[in-house]
Amino acid sequence: MIEIGVDIGGTFTDVVCRAADQPLRVMKVPTTRADPSRAVLEAVRQLKDQWDIEPADVARFVHGTTVATNAVLERKGPKTGLLTTAGFKDILEIGRQMRQTMYAAVLEPEVPGYLAPGAFRHEIGERVAFDGEIVRPLNEQDVRDAAASLVEAGVEGIAICFLFSFVNPAHERRAAEIIREEYPDVALSLSCEVDPAFREYERTVVTTFDAYIKPVIDRYLANLEQGLGQAGVPAPLQIMQSRGGIATSEVARQRPVRLFLSGPAAGVVGAQMVGQSAGITDLISVDIGGTSSDIALIRAGEPLIRPEGHVAGYNIRVPMVDVNAIGSGGGSIAWIDTAGGLRVGPHSAGSEPGPACYDRGGEEATVTDASIVLGYLDPDYFAGGTLKLRPELSFRVIEEKVAKPLGLSVEDAALGIHRVVNTQMTEGIRLVSIRQGYDPRDFALLPLGGAGGIHAAALADELGITRILIARHPGVLSATGLLSAVVEHETSLAFPQRVDELSLDDVRAALGELDERCGGLMRKERVPPEDVEIRYFADVCFVGQSHYLEVPFTPGEDAAEQLRDGFRAAHRRVFGHAADAPTQVVNLRAIHRAGGDTITDEAADAAGGEARKGTRRIIVQGHEGHLEAAIYDRERLAPGTTLAGPAILEQADTTTVVPPGWSIRILDGGNVLLTRDGAQG
Amino acid sequence: MNMQHKIDPITLEVVRNKLDGIANEMESTLLRSSFSPIVREGLDASASLFTLEGESLAQAVAIPIHLATMIPVVRRISSEFPPSTMEEGDIYLMNDPYLGGTHLPDIALVMPIFADGRPIAFAATMTHHQDVGGMAPGSIPTNATEIYQEGLRLPPLKFRSGPERFDETVIKILRLNSRIPDTFMGDIHAQVSACTVGAQRVAELARAHGGNMMQALFAELLDRSEQMTREALRKIPEGTYTYVDYNDNDGIDLDRRIRIEVAVTIRDGKFICDFTGTNPQVRGPFNVVPSGTQAAAYYALRTITGAHIPTNGGCFRPVELNLPEGSILNPVEPAPVNSRTATIKRATGAILGSLRGILPEIVGADAAGEMLALMFGGTDRNGRRYVVGELIAGGSGAGPESDGVDVIETDATNCMNLPVESFERDAPIRINSTRLRRDSGGAGRQRGGLGIEREYEVLAGEVVFTHRGERHFCPPSGADGGESGMTARSVIYRAGGEEEVVPSKLVTRLFPGDRVLILTAGGGGFGPAADRDRDLLRTDIANGKVSREQAKEIYHLADD
Repeated sequence: MIEIGVDIGGTFTDVVCRAADQPLRVMKVPTTRADPSRAVLEAVRQLKDQWDIEPADVARFVHGTTVATNAVLERKGPKTGLLTTAGFKDILEIGRQMRQTMYAAVLEPEVPGYLAPGAFRHEIGERVAFDGEIVRPLNEQDVRDAAASLVEAGVEGIAICFLFSFVNPAHERRAAEIIREEYPDVALSLSCEVDPAFREYERTVVTTFDAYIKPVIDRYLANLEQGLGQAGVPAPLQIMQSRGGIATSEVARQRPVRLFLSGPAAGVVGAQMVGQSAGITDLISVDIGGTSSDIALIRAGEPLIRPEGHVAGYNIRVPMVDVNAIGSGGGSIAWIDTAGGLRVGPHSAGSEPGPACYDRGGEEATVTDASIVLGYLDPDYFAGGTLKLRPELSFRVIEEKVAKPLGLSVEDAALGIHRVVNTQMTEGIRLVSIRQGYDPRDFALLPLGGAGGIHAAALADELGITRILIARHPGVLSATGLLSAVVEHETSLAFPQRVDELSLDDVRAALGELDERCGGLMRKERVPPEDVEIRYFADVCFVGQSHYLEVPFTPGEDAAEQLRDGFRAAHRRVFGHAADAPTQVVNLRAIHRAGGDTITDEAADAAGGEARKGTRRIIVQGHEGHLEAAIYDRERLAPGTTLAGPAILEQADTTTVVPPGWSIRILDGGNVLLTRDGAQG
Repeated sequence: MNMQHKIDPITLEVVRNKLDGIANEMESTLLRSSFSPIVREGLDASASLFTLEGESLAQAVAIPIHLATMIPVVRRISSEFPPSTMEEGDIYLMNDPYLGGTHLPDIALVMPIFADGRPIAFAATMTHHQDVGGMAPGSIPTNATEIYQEGLRLPPLKFRSGPERFDETVIKILRLNSRIPDTFMGDIHAQVSACTVGAQRVAELARAHGGNMMQALFAELLDRSEQMTREALRKIPEGTYTYVDYNDNDGIDLDRRIRIEVAVTIRDGKFICDFTGTNPQVRGPFNVVPSGTQAAAYYALRTITGAHIPTNGGCFRPVELNLPEGSILNPVEPAPVNSRTATIKRATGAILGSLRGILPEIVGADAAGEMLALMFGGTDRNGRRYVVGELIAGGSGAGPESDGVDVIETDATNCMNLPVESFERDAPIRINSTRLRRDSGGAGRQRGGLGIEREYEVLAGEVVFTHRGERHFCPPSGADGGESGMTARSVIYRAGGEEEVVPSKLVTRLFPGDRVLILTAGGGGFGPAADRDRDLLRTDIANGKVSREQAKEIYHLADD
């Protein structure tokens, strides 16, 4: 059985192939920004040439896509309409009235009003009260008139968001029915289906985003499906969703707003799998890119999920893996402020022009240039030798831009840049974990991205972390994550009931409805019911509070106790205390999942030959002068090998710096574990 | 000190990043472990690190009104309790506005940070507590006429001696004076936790560098921010710039407008705000003690000097304030101060407004600068008592290149509004509309942001209704030939057909069938209305932001 995972990145589209009794194979093709599906289809064509794989033998095809995010970033969605309750046309544009930039008097909008500007928003005569009672019946003529006017204006998608539809969806459903009868081709997104939960602005935003990207996603996936079909791939197309579970293209197209974090979610699943194969369940993954770094936590083997995320600067209430970006990366620029002090970031040289050593016109001293000066990177073996670096340019910019103004040697300036950027990253990691109630010292660090391995040991030292796990293929972790992810469907509904007055019958009826909806989606996936694992969660809060925590439970006789105790435990962890106050349920959620497995790379055996490539002089924080570090070709280190720092592990997609005081062990699965000497390993 | 300790520029920047991270961790601890929703969701709390001299080293602020407001508190505490007499683990506390606080609900806790056996800095937190006693639940009585009615006044007190021994007497007094003692003490302990996190982490940092070096680094960081701020100020044309703006009234003398007058002088890298000419103190609770205007001046200064300067006490050294004694900005005890926010907002707006002529790209036209506070209290059909409060914004001012933003928080505050779906669940009141208020944005080449229209209808029971508005009488000004934003307006439509226009501040009763329509102010426009791009104007008409009538009369749009 041949399985293919394809993840689209900014520069490269990564392809991994898994086949029984074969080593995992990896290929990169250039990303085609205008139509990303072209790169995917190009990769399919190369399967035959590069790996001698017949498309007809591909049994699974899983894809992580950035199309949803790009449509929003580039504002390239089609004209979209919005129907609201009469009197509430502008909810989308009023928002929550808070601003993100504190010290500014000339402001920018904080709300995505552009999705459906005023001219495309229509008020519909109707009103439902907070308890679901219909106060004003639906004016069907309003719906017909609004739809006619929107279609006339060239709208491709319509969002419907009425007040309290999460309690009583009758009006939204009827309005949708009316529009479908007359305009079957218009894409519809109903708030009672997309996000049935209270707070009208948040629900309107997510529903309107859904309508806005639906036609884009639809076209993209239809093209891709057609292309795969023509190429002879029989497997159904599967797509990664923001929570870290996959869905068939057919289902994903109906719920496009769940695809925003498709790529990053795959990366977190990849990290989770690497941890699993190494027997480590608590991980902090740090993906150090050019302009920023992404931090995610995996706790007890499961990625942390957040109930809403940020996309293109907007809060969007749809569950996604909890990936936090901080504005420091390999391209961050070191500069001297007007008081003569060293600063690093937040400006970045990105990948264009990139660090000075790329020789693409970069004139600024970046963190990557400092890495060159410190001896961490081999100029001839960067990105597996695909990009030839010019170290003399790094020396020059750091000399001119940092060392001279500060009166330091070039080496001390480079080390200084690293110390500053590492401080920024460690403070970022601390804050992300402490906000969730976790102590970073209880986690292992999993560095990702080209620069992750360069900073990992310095970050771990600062954070008091004693274990670092380096994935066998850190550069394609998202693509490998695709192959190990479960098929997952999640549905939720509003369920406002106090825990001390909980009706088990009501709970079971509500879960039954959720199971029915998830079951319907699973049937479309052709997953047999006996393979489906079901989990239930409730969002619970103290009575009177508006922020809730998710609590797992089972609908047995003790459901109320489970919810109360589970909520208090979670509250204690995140907030440090839990009052003996009454609690209430806000939403119920069902998650159905099936399949998924760890990639145990069958042939993790090392390539033959001498692993030690020689030595290089490196400079490491906390050690005087230069150190002679042994350079190892990571591919040639056999499982079971143990080594000690100072050392550098080189592989095609990453370089790992191992300072003195850290030990190296190659694990059976092909991953590498670094352990701080003296720590419990 | 700097002579003896050579400063390594790298260590300096590393320590600066650490101090910012520590302040953020303190703030995160404070917000997470607080009990009351006003802290957790209103973010009405802040955490800082201070030098022994009372200059802020790093501060995590969610609301600008908290910016550096703890400076007088820390100074007061360290003058009453000299740091040389402090012991590790001590915690000090106070709230009295006339001794350095802000208003009574804001209680500050200060903890010395030790290195090498002596204090080197302070960790401090300030939280808006939900109830500290006084004549009204919530401790912000709009009808107070002296501070004694506003709640418990706390002078600087030693709250804990060493790491264990809390002063039980103080705790008993605190508990007895709050209507919700458990929540109150829960929030106090959140402040203790946050101070402890800050003190521990700075002490840890000091172990690596030594206490003397840490203090030398602190001094250097402050000097550098001062230097950068003065340099930024020197780039602004020197001169004295004046501005006058008004608030509506103090809720008691309804026909008396409140004048805020400022002359800002920028000279020799100094930033001098002279409020001579500002209104005398008022009978109602809209007076502000000096720390409030200080926050206003600091906010304005940070807005005009650029984000690249690390915010610490050094930035504020160039500031000099002249607040005439007995004025609304420097009231004489026992004037009430609990509703100070509206005045701080207007002072902030006035300082910025004075600089518009020289910094139009940064300042823009006036924002509505109002935070309409509504309170509905009563008993629902099931006999359950409820109180629901709302804070509602107007539009922001237009800039030279951009329209104002509709319905958004500006200047010294940053609060969320309440969802209809939350409001209607908590009170037997229906909201009939929530729309942008057409035509309210000041006309201009760039249009001011729009205010909001929101209508409430009482369904059951009797409601005590409090309305604390601004901008009902004095509109936000336009800039460079742009028009003013539309003034705010609120009307009560009684079930019997009578109409009552709200005179900005009002406490009244509502009955079933009564409706309240509130319309907040729009921001000022920038540039002449006649210069507005005609396509943008047509888009505004299509999107409902400008009526055809206004387009014709004010923008002089020819019929299409």
